[in-house]
Amino acid sequence: MLEEFSFGFPILSYLIFLPLVGAAVLWLIDDEDLLKSTTLGITLVELALACLVLVRFVPDSAAMQFAEHARWMPALGIGYHLAVDGISVLFVGLTAFLTVLVVIYSWDTIRNQVRLYFMALLALETTTIGIFVSIDLILFFVFWELMLIPSYFLIKLWGGGADRHYAALKYVLYTLLGSVFMLVGIALLDINYHQWAVTHHMDHVYSFDLLELLSVPIPLSQQILIFWLMFMGFAFKAPVFPFHTWLPDALVEGPIGMAVMLAGMKLGTYGFLRFTFPLVPDASKSEGVVAIVMVLALTAILYGAVVALVQSDFKRLLAFSSISHLGFVVVGLFALNFQGLQGSLLTMINLGFSTAGLFFMAGFLSTRQQSSQLSSFGGFAKQAPLLATFLLLIGMASIGLPGTNGFVGEFLILLGAFKAKWWFGAVAVLGVIFGAAYFLWYYERAMLGPLSKQVSAAVKDLHMREITIALSLSIMILWIGLYPSPFLRMMNGSIQALVDRLDRAKVASVDTVTHVPAK
Amino acid sequence: MTFSLTLSASDLLLLLPELFLTLWLCVVLAVDFSFKRIVQEQLAYLTILGVIITLACLAWFDMTGITGTLFGKMFVVDRMAIFFKVMILLATILVILLSIDYVHRFSLFRGEYYFLVAMSALGMMFMASANDLLSLFVTLEFATFGFYVLVSYLRDDMASNEAGLKFFILGVFAAGLLAYGISLVYGETGKLVFSDMSGATPTTGLVIGFLLIFAALGFKIGAVPFHSWIPDTYHGAPTPVTAFLSIAPKVAAFAILLRLFLVALATFKPAWALLIVAASILSMTYGNIVAIAQRNIKRLLAYSGIAQVGNVLIGLAAGTKMGTDSILFYLLTYLFANLGAFAVIMAISNSVGSDEIDDYRGLNRRSPFLAFAMLIFLLSLAGVPPLAGFIGKLYIFVAAIKEGLYILITVGLVNIVVSMYYYLIVVKKMYINEPLDSSPIKTTGPLRAVIYVGLAGTLVIGIYPQPFLDWAVAATLMFSNLIGPAASLTPPVTPFGS
Repeated sequence: MLEEFSFGFPILSYLIFLPLVGAAVLWLIDDEDLLKSTTLGITLVELALACLVLVRFVPDSAAMQFAEHARWMPALGIGYHLAVDGISVLFVGLTAFLTVLVVIYSWDTIRNQVRLYFMALLALETTTIGIFVSIDLILFFVFWELMLIPSYFLIKLWGGGADRHYAALKYVLYTLLGSVFMLVGIALLDINYHQWAVTHHMDHVYSFDLLELLSVPIPLSQQILIFWLMFMGFAFKAPVFPFHTWLPDALVEGPIGMAVMLAGMKLGTYGFLRFTFPLVPDASKSEGVVAIVMVLALTAILYGAVVALVQSDFKRLLAFSSISHLGFVVVGLFALNFQGLQGSLLTMINLGFSTAGLFFMAGFLSTRQQSSQLSSFGGFAKQAPLLATFLLLIGMASIGLPGTNGFVGEFLILLGAFKAKWWFGAVAVLGVIFGAAYFLWYYERAMLGPLSKQVSAAVKDLHMREITIALSLSIMILWIGLYPSPFLRMMNGSIQALVDRLDRAKVASVDTVTHVPAK
Repeated sequence: MTFSLTLSASDLLLLLPELFLTLWLCVVLAVDFSFKRIVQEQLAYLTILGVIITLACLAWFDMTGITGTLFGKMFVVDRMAIFFKVMILLATILVILLSIDYVHRFSLFRGEYYFLVAMSALGMMFMASANDLLSLFVTLEFATFGFYVLVSYLRDDMASNEAGLKFFILGVFAAGLLAYGISLVYGETGKLVFSDMSGATPTTGLVIGFLLIFAALGFKIGAVPFHSWIPDTYHGAPTPVTAFLSIAPKVAAFAILLRLFLVALATFKPAWALLIVAASILSMTYGNIVAIAQRNIKRLLAYSGIAQVGNVLIGLAAGTKMGTDSILFYLLTYLFANLGAFAVIMAISNSVGSDEIDDYRGLNRRSPFLAFAMLIFLLSLAGVPPLAGFIGKLYIFVAAIKEGLYILITVGLVNIVVSMYYYLIVVKKMYINEPLDSSPIKTTGPLRAVIYVGLAGTLVIGIYPQPFLDWAVAATLMFSNLIGPAASLTPPVTPFGS
């Protein structure tokens, strides 16, 4: 896990800063069309760079690849350390991919303050990529916090709902509350490292570098404390039940583009895989912790699904289905075995296509009927057959129908959950059933049956840009669904290393004092 | 105690910055009197020139490592004193630049205004070097006298007069406490110099004496429960004076607090740490909660300033080398963000004629530059990465966690979230709300200069803090020798049994 590969040129830095530079360039452009095409160009170049990373990525390896290392604040042990491994590399591609789609979607749906919108979107892309490629915890935290600022403006300025001001503020304050606790956890890790270094090589050094922190043992009681502090940060962001209340507000009130990025990027659960599990393995697998988190996650699955069942607004339904899906992801994570972790990671990527795709669909519906309320629809498939078809396909992926990507991920998670404890799996399966129910029920009422009076004959089917979005999502959904092995191979190495680390922790937790550092 | 006043040239060298500034101020005053028609701007730039030369002199001290003590250890020049003096002089330059447009509002004595500002700065420079109880009292009062006049400089404005009166009465009260405290401490120990006191046994008189001194210094930094003068004084005082008051006296008072607590009282750290923790928690919580309800931007910054002092006190509560580093660094970041924010306030106040937060509506439409600058300053004050304020907060929190001050940290962190709320309210007004009046806002050269300096400071320190961290660490390096034995006497509560 501590191996590192470098690439010829600092491609990850380019990935981070290209959108930011692009945002600055937009400042100079006055013409609206040119503005849009420049943004599209920037995001396409970004996608190409991300694809290059994916293509050159060595699969089945636990190594940190494309590493870049520079000193930033040595006095505090803060470095500029970037790298990707099997856990993060797919997220980089996903972010670049979704941003392109959001730009295409926003082409004619954003009408006011266009320049500021695209600047905020590009800034959001920078911070999101930054979160995924940071290995230094403070660098990670910087992007994590910085992400709030474009998000705040995106929800607030271009949100559709009447309560968008409230939603934006709630989102920022909730996430901030969680992340300040996480910061304490990070500081504790740093201080633990410092004290270990002082006693071992008599040197006053600090470090926030993930790889260096991994090489130092942490006593179990400290691990538990750090676990819960970091849990606060990630649980608020994910969001894990019961910290989820900001999510429906932000997703429903914010613009579609923001909803896609928020629902598509599973930042919180990524945090568990990237930082929590490797750094505090003993705490992550201690029985109390697993029990509490599992109960929360299983509650989230059922709660989200049941609440989604009774929603009449499509966006709100999606928000609660998101909470339910996140419950799945967390169940897979805390099964703490290979299948569970792999399934969770794949599901996080999948949700980036399916949930985000459904939000695009919600956007398509809203632009036609000025609402995503059920009462505005009925028999919509007759008027817009293409839209209905794509909605069904992406919805099936979200349910987890075999042949779509959702199936592979969910299957692995359930496998992992059953392996861990049978009743984890048993409860989680209920969620799958509910998930099918709420989506299909909504679909039936909105799309099938006789044409509702609310739907005027002037409603058009998808146009070219919308088809581009729906089609590219569908291709990804079917690709992963039918031939997942390239994606699974990318993650295998890192997941295996993580499982090894967790297993080693089990042996070591008997006698924590003599815990052998990985290096 | 024998006291000899034989000064050699090398002794005077240590006083060079102060002596030079004193002479320069006399020149400024003389020029003002002699040339009746002199434009006040020229006087401002003349004063700034003097301050810059003084700064250069300090930089030379810092680079060549000139240090020493004078007058039987009353006056000390070490790298920490130099750090504080540089901060004070930076603030002075920025405040003078802020004042150039504002001075037209004064009906009389425009030239003397600059003299008074620089004289207060001189007093605070002495405060940074104060090393015994007598010089503590004298320099503190010296620095405050200028402010008594400055706060009520708007003669015809009732609010300014009220502010001046409140400031004066409470200031004199604090001076009384200080004098009484000093007499008690001297009576108990027979010592004046901080470093001589470190071995004293705690008696009731000594404890009361130190509490009184702490109360007096608490007035200067505006920590709860000694904050009551702050909101009205900040509100009523001329805005550049408010800006000056919001940073320079706090900086100078922290220099004294550090010397007092970490040198003279080093052995009683477990006892006074509780006191500082309490003051810190009260300041942060009270300042942030009351700030939410404010409608006036100057009052908002007054309360947020109380909260910021609470943050700085966290570093003092840690009471280690790292804690002192973090205090120095934090004050530096606070200086840029705070004075930058005041520059934006002045630009708006000059054009709109009001400091109400409601008048910030739609600022982004009226002046994108001012709105962006204010956004950066407020976010830095809130501690959002990668701005300077974030590194400052991080440093302070790490120092405190290292000492196991978990309750203090938790309160501090929750307060960050609270403070984000009211900073975001201002941001919302600037960016989201429609402007009441869409005429663009003009800014003048000097104000722009201050905003640029503030932005540069906030961004550069945030993105590349290393040189500034090094500087802060080096500044307390000399000082850590002084507190070295104390650290071993009171081993830090280690969160991890190593």
